[in-house]
Parts: sequence; structure tokens; C-alpha cells
Amino acid sequence: MRKLNIDVFRYNPLDPESKPHMQTFVLDETPSMTLFIALTQIRETIDPTLMFDFCCRAGICGSCGMVINGRPGLACSTQTKDLPDHIVLQPLPFFKLLGDLSVDTGTWFRQAWERIESWIHTDKTFDPNEEEERMDNELANEIFELDRCIECGCCVAACGTALMRKDFLGATSINRLARFYIDPRDHRTEEDFYEIIGDDNGVFGCMGLLACEDVCPKKIPLQDQLGIMRRMTALQSVRGIVPKFLLDRLSPRRCGCSCSEQHND
Amino acid sequence: MTSPSIRKHTDNAPVVVPSRLDIIQAITGVLLILFLWAHVFLVSSVIISPALMNGIADFFERTYMAQIGGPLVLLLIVYHFLIAARKMPFRASEFMTFWRNARSLRHKDTWLWVVQVVTAIVILVMASIHIYVVLSTLPITAEQSASRVQGGWLPFFLILLPMAELHLGIGFYRLGVKYGYITRASRHVWQRNEYVLTGIFILIGLLTLVRFMLLTN
Ligand code: HEM
Ligand code: SF4
Ligand code: SF4
Ligand code: FES
Repeated sequence: MRKLNIDVFRYNPLDPESKPHMQTFVLDETPSMTLFIALTQIRETIDPTLMFDFCCRAGICGSCGMVINGRPGLACSTQTKDLPDHIVLQPLPFFKLLGDLSVDTGTWFRQAWERIESWIHTDKTFDPNEEEERMDNELANEIFELDRCIECGCCVAACGTALMRKDFLGATSINRLARFYIDPRDHRTEEDFYEIIGDDNGVFGCMGLLACEDVCPKKIPLQDQLGIMRRMTALQSVRGIVPKFLLDRLSPRRCGCSCSEQHND
Repeated sequence: MTSPSIRKHTDNAPVVVPSRLDIIQAITGVLLILFLWAHVFLVSSVIISPALMNGIADFFERTYMAQIGGPLVLLLIVYHFLIAARKMPFRASEFMTFWRNARSLRHKDTWLWVVQVVTAIVILVMASIHIYVVLSTLPITAEQSASRVQGGWLPFFLILLPMAELHLGIGFYRLGVKYGYITRASRHVWQRNEYVLTGIFILIGLLTLVRFMLLTN
């Protein structure tokens, strides 16, 4: 069994004595050890003051995002056997630091969801006695594919644009809006979507670095959604200038997926 | 249940400027790519024969395409740069943030963007000088180009050539990504295509320079 040297970022913003520093913990690796298990062991056997977030420990809740050897990822889904014996853990940048490895992603996601108005916009009146509306299974799957985001924040923390420009909405928000874009129950028009993401804090801020795509632990099709939303939004701004047949040819179809093979997750 | 939109509180038409700038950046980028491809083939015609290059140059001068097109290309470069510069990390804090992120992530596409920013600045300066020199010493002839390359301009081109081709290759790839033409499924194929294309153009450029070095009047 290997001995693991785990360097952990330590800082408690509420403690005036506390200074940001790295602290090394040495652990014996155990079979199928995840970083969740390792950190819990540190907290239980070495230092009970260590702060980090976990809830589901199965890659579902999105609370354990952290920077693992330089890259954002989920600690609960990362096995130590896939890492070298020297492991460096840091809190996600971009988000507010609560202490050590714990950051507040919730506040950011809440304001982002409010900015993109992350809910179905409809004028239909809800009748609780009516039978539920049916949806085509394929479409439901396409929407679900985009809905799988667990709001871990890894994509935002890896995005050079977001780190430089704090108001940038990030790939997760664009993907979130793409989900409403393909949802027929949402009555927002392309013009409405343009108004939300048609600027440099939205889809035009993205520089196509694809760090989001490459770190997303849920493999959400961020690259494809960013492309679809950018093209749709850009075309929206030249409606009336560019001939209609050309617009129609260039338009991405109003459907979340650009490639049907990707629905096997 | 109606959900009133908290955004729609004015009746102003949405602002189209950021979006149109993005489109212009893409179009000027594509135009410059096309120009540079054409340019490589015109200049490299010297490999086949200096007379061919002279003939082509003569055609472009007689039709005034060089005299008018040249400054237009320069304008296009400056315009493309200005629009693209909106995204450049000019503030020290921005640059430091980006640099730290790129180093920490060890992520290729993030690094490629750094390459694109650096090459953009180099090209802006060097291409301006180059266009000025070429257009102020018309006519373009293989003999004159050769004496220029032999007379000390070789290092200049050895820098400008890879810079221009790298910028072009990365820009082409990223444009495809940004506008959703290069998808998750096709990304790897395109990345490879891009390497090959960039390599071929650098090779042709180097051969051209070798030809100029060996050309004697
Ligand atoms: C309209 C403008 C342009 C004209 C008329 C022009 C013309 C020429 C000519 C005649 C040469 C041969 C060498 C010489 O005579 O000095 C040359 C070489 C070269 N030019 Fe240009 N050029 C133009 C714009 C550009 C731009 C914008 C770039 C790069 C972004 C560029 C990159 C190069 C490179 C790298 C070489 C080296 C030759 C090679 O390896 O292919 N040129 N150009
Ligand atoms: S898109 Fe992926 S990386 Fe981003 S918050 Fe959602 S699950 Fe996390
Ligand atoms: S592709 Fe866009 S959103 Fe994703 S990391 Fe790059 S700049 Fe950020
Ligand atoms: S603990 Fe829930 S995603 Fe890791």
C-alpha cells in the first residue's frame, strides 16, 4: 500500500489568527479509497478542524468540488489510485471561500439562475385537476441530458474567462438556458434569450477554451450547447440584415443535441 | 401560472452591438485566413519558378489589387485586432489570473489561447512592417524578394511565419468550436486536421524561404 502525502489548503477567514497555508497530511492508502474517504479519515484521526463539503458522496449533490492537483473535480468521485502519491487539494477559485476546502457555490448559482430566469416562462394557467401534458420521450431525454448538471461549479472554476471577468455567466448557465430553449413548455422567444445572454457577460464572453467541457464531472455537453446558443444568439442580432434563407441554413435546430450519439450516459 | 419576467422592464430593443462585434470578429478572421492561404500559394509559386511568381505579382499590380488590397488587408488586421482585443487580458491582474489558471489546469486549449494572444500582438507589429516594406518597394519580383531575404530579413520571416500560421490555425479551430461547427464528437478530428494544416503551411513557407535564399540573379 502506498503512503499518500496530501497537501491541503488551510485558511479560516473567520479566525483573525489564521493565515492561508498548505498543510501536509500523511495517510495509508486503502483499496478503492476516494478523496472523500481520505479527507474524512484526516478529519477523524488527525485534525477535526478541517473544513470541506460533502453530502451524497456519489457525484450527485455537487457539493464536493475542489481543485485536485490543479484541476477542478469532484472529491467523492476521484479515487486516490488514479492520482500520484503526492496530492494537492485546494478550494475552487472564483467562489467565496468559507474555510479550507469549503466554498459557497450556492449563492453564485442562485444569482446566476435569477439572471437567466431559470424557470419555465408560460402564460398557461395551471389546472391541478387536468391530466399531465405528455412529452415525446426523445425530447424528454434531450432535456434531461442538459438537466443533469449538479451545480458543482467545476466548469466555472476552470474557466479562464470567468476567473478574469467575475460577471461572466459561465458554461453552466448557458447550458441551463439551452435546456429551456429546447423545452416547448417555455414560451420565451429567441429574442428573449438574446436579451439574457446576448452580451459579453453571456455567450459572447466565452472564448471557446473548453476547460469547462474538459473538467465537467457529469460530462454535460457544454461545448455543443455553447456553440448552439452562440450561433442562435448571433443570428438573432442580424435578423433583417441577413437574408432569411441564409439564416435558416445557419440556424442550429431548436433541439439541445447536435449529435445523437451522445445520449448514452 | 404566469411568471412575469424580471428582465423585461423596459421596452428598449435589445442591444445588438456585442453580438455583431462577435460576428465581425469571426468574419474578419475568416477573411484573413483566406487571404493568408492565397498569400502562401502566391509567394510559394517561386518554388516552381521565379518567372511564375513574377507573373502573378505582375497581374496583381497591373490590376491594382496589390496596391489597393494591401492597405485593405492591413486595415483588416488592425480592425480584427481591435475587436478581438476586447477579450485580451490587458490588466496585469487579469493576465496573472489567466496565467495562473493555465498553469494550474495544464489544459491544452487554455494554453492555446495564450498562444493566440501573444501571436496576435507579434503579427500586428510584424505584418504591418512587412506590408509597408513590400508595398513601398513595388514592383514585387522574385529577385527583389530574394535579395531582401538574403539581405537580413530571414530572421524576420522565420518569426512571422510560425506566428502567423499558429494564430491562423488556432483561430480557425476556435471559431469552429465557438459557433458549434466543431462539436464534442468531431473535436479530436479537427484538432488533428488543424495540426496537419498548420504544419503543411509552415513547411511550404520554409521551402519558400529556402528558395529565396538560394535564388541568384
Ligand atoms: C497585402 C499584404 C501583403 C503582401 C503584398 C505581401 C507580400 C509578400 C511578399 C512579396 C513576400 C516575399 C518576401 C518579401 O518580398 O519580403 C512575402 C512573404 C511573407 N509574408 Fe507577406 N504579404 C502581405 C501580407 C502578409 C501578412 C498579413 C502576413 C502575416 C500575417 C504575411 C506573412 C508573410 C510571411 C510569413 C512571409 C515569408 C514567406 C513565406 O515563408 O511564405 N504577409 N509577403
Ligand atoms: S456543468 Fe458540469 S461542471 Fe458545471 S456545474 Fe454542472 S455538473 Fe458541474
Ligand atoms: S468554453 Fe467558454 S465557458 Fe467554457 S471554459 Fe472556455 S471560455 Fe469558459
Ligand atoms: S459529495 Fe455529492 S457530489 Fe461529491
